[in-house]
Amino acid sequence: MPKHILSIDDEAPILDLIERFLSSKGYRVTTAQTAAAARKVVEVDPPDLIITDLQLEDSDGLKLVEELKVLLPAVPVILLTGVLFDARAIEENIGKRVSGYLDKTAPLKQLLQEIHRLLGD
Amino acid sequence: MSTESPTPPAPSSPPFAPDAVKPPPVDGGDPAFRRVLVVFALIMAVLVTVVVVSIRNLNRSVATADWVNHTHAVVGEAEAIASSLDAAEGALRTYLLTGDRRDQAAYQEAYAGLAEHVDVTRALVRGEPDAAESFAKIETLLEDRAGFARAVARAKQSGSAEELAKLLAADADRGGIHEIRRLIQRLTLDQTNLLAARDRAAFAQAETTRWSVVAGLVFDLLLLGGAAWLIRDDLAARRRAAAILSEANDRLETKVRERTAELAAKNEALVTQNLEDRWAQQAMEHQLRYNQLIINSIADLVFVVTKLVNISRINPAVVYLTGYESAELIDEPLARFVRLGSGAPAGESPMFDPIARALQDGRDLRDQSATATDRHGRTHAVRFNLFPLRDRDKVVGGVVILQIQPAAPVPPS
Repeated sequence: MPKHILSIDDEAPILDLIERFLSSKGYRVTTAQTAAAARKVVEVDPPDLIITDLQLEDSDGLKLVEELKVLLPAVPVILLTGVLFDARAIEENIGKRVSGYLDKTAPLKQLLQEIHRLLGD
Repeated sequence: MSTESPTPPAPSSPPFAPDAVKPPPVDGGDPAFRRVLVVFALIMAVLVTVVVVSIRNLNRSVATADWVNHTHAVVGEAEAIASSLDAAEGALRTYLLTGDRRDQAAYQEAYAGLAEHVDVTRALVRGEPDAAESFAKIETLLEDRAGFARAVARAKQSGSAEELAKLLAADADRGGIHEIRRLIQRLTLDQTNLLAARDRAAFAQAETTRWSVVAGLVFDLLLLGGAAWLIRDDLAARRRAAAILSEANDRLETKVRERTAELAAKNEALVTQNLEDRWAQQAMEHQLRYNQLIINSIADLVFVVTKLVNISRINPAVVYLTGYESAELIDEPLARFVRLGSGAPAGESPMFDPIARALQDGRDLRDQSATATDRHGRTHAVRFNLFPLRDRDKVVGGVVILQIQPAAPVPPS
């Protein structure tokens, strides 16, 4: 059975690209453009991994991660954002709250490697 | 002028194509089928020949058997004539001795029986010229004997002993009985020889029939063996062709599967590459938009200048604070609006431009005192910062950031 990935981003083209890419690699992908929609997916169809943007229309990505971690503490979360952080900020702050961090300039192949690493594929 | 159209080139088949190996057709065009047909036609011809020869020899055997029976009949009748003659002669002499009417009747009956045998024998030898000729002589002598018998009987009945003795003496001198016996023996011998010849002919016919049947059987068996060999050879060829065809099909299917897998892999790689390209493009656009938003949000005045210190780009804060439109500033010298220090008015080119010099040297200028002149000619005290723009270690321009000082604007001089 294919593993379930929840992708959260306020930009539909980005969600579309991620869904197409990960579906072609054998994953089942659900997308959410808002934090509210993401919460609903987590309650109804818990994912094996979450990919989220930092900036959402109705919430902050890191805040949403904290909420989802309460519901799914064992599920890994990848922060995928266009905001470029320096390595120290990632190590000291963001890295403790998410399982992985990637900026949106990274190729999709790198995102896939990160997913494989976190899901143990 | 020739009206013939050019012959199109024959299409070439790949070596693994299924039609490279075709099984032989199973109709009249199949050489093996034709060969088997020829062999079976030969078998049928041999069978017909054997049957015809056998029937002809059977007919001959039947005819020979009829002739053998006929010959046996002739021999039997000849021997019966000899026996009847002896019996009749004996009965005649008995009558001559006794003169009894019963003995007379007996000899007459014996001669009548002899006549019947003569009639039968004549009928039997009618179709054989040699035998008929021989029997004609016997028949003549028998008629003489019959005449003699009648003469002596009349002499007896008349009671003339002298006449009777004279006839008997004359008969003893002629020796007619011996001649008849000799001729009958000869006829019998001739018929026996003929019988032997016909036996030999019958045996030869039987041998011919036997050898015809045996030779036909052997020849048919050989032909059947040949047909079986041809069929087996053809079946083997068909099996080989089928095996080659199957192998070619397997190779083709394997190649198709490999090619399909190769194309699927290439397609997947292309799809992935396409997604990667679109992802990179949207990431660049997103990043560009994001960076543009950051720059446009800065309250400080940002100028991008060329290496000759002409303005190539500004942020909205420049328009807002100087009152110039973007089109009025682009490609204009920065020195027209900004001057380091506070003494010289804007727009006058100094003999020595420290900004151009710093760009040439690739140096930063940080937190320098400067004045900026707006559209209305008013000057503003600002803090001047210059950062050279590098492309692969080569300075191609610079970024100038002016931080507005909180002091009141200086009135135009």
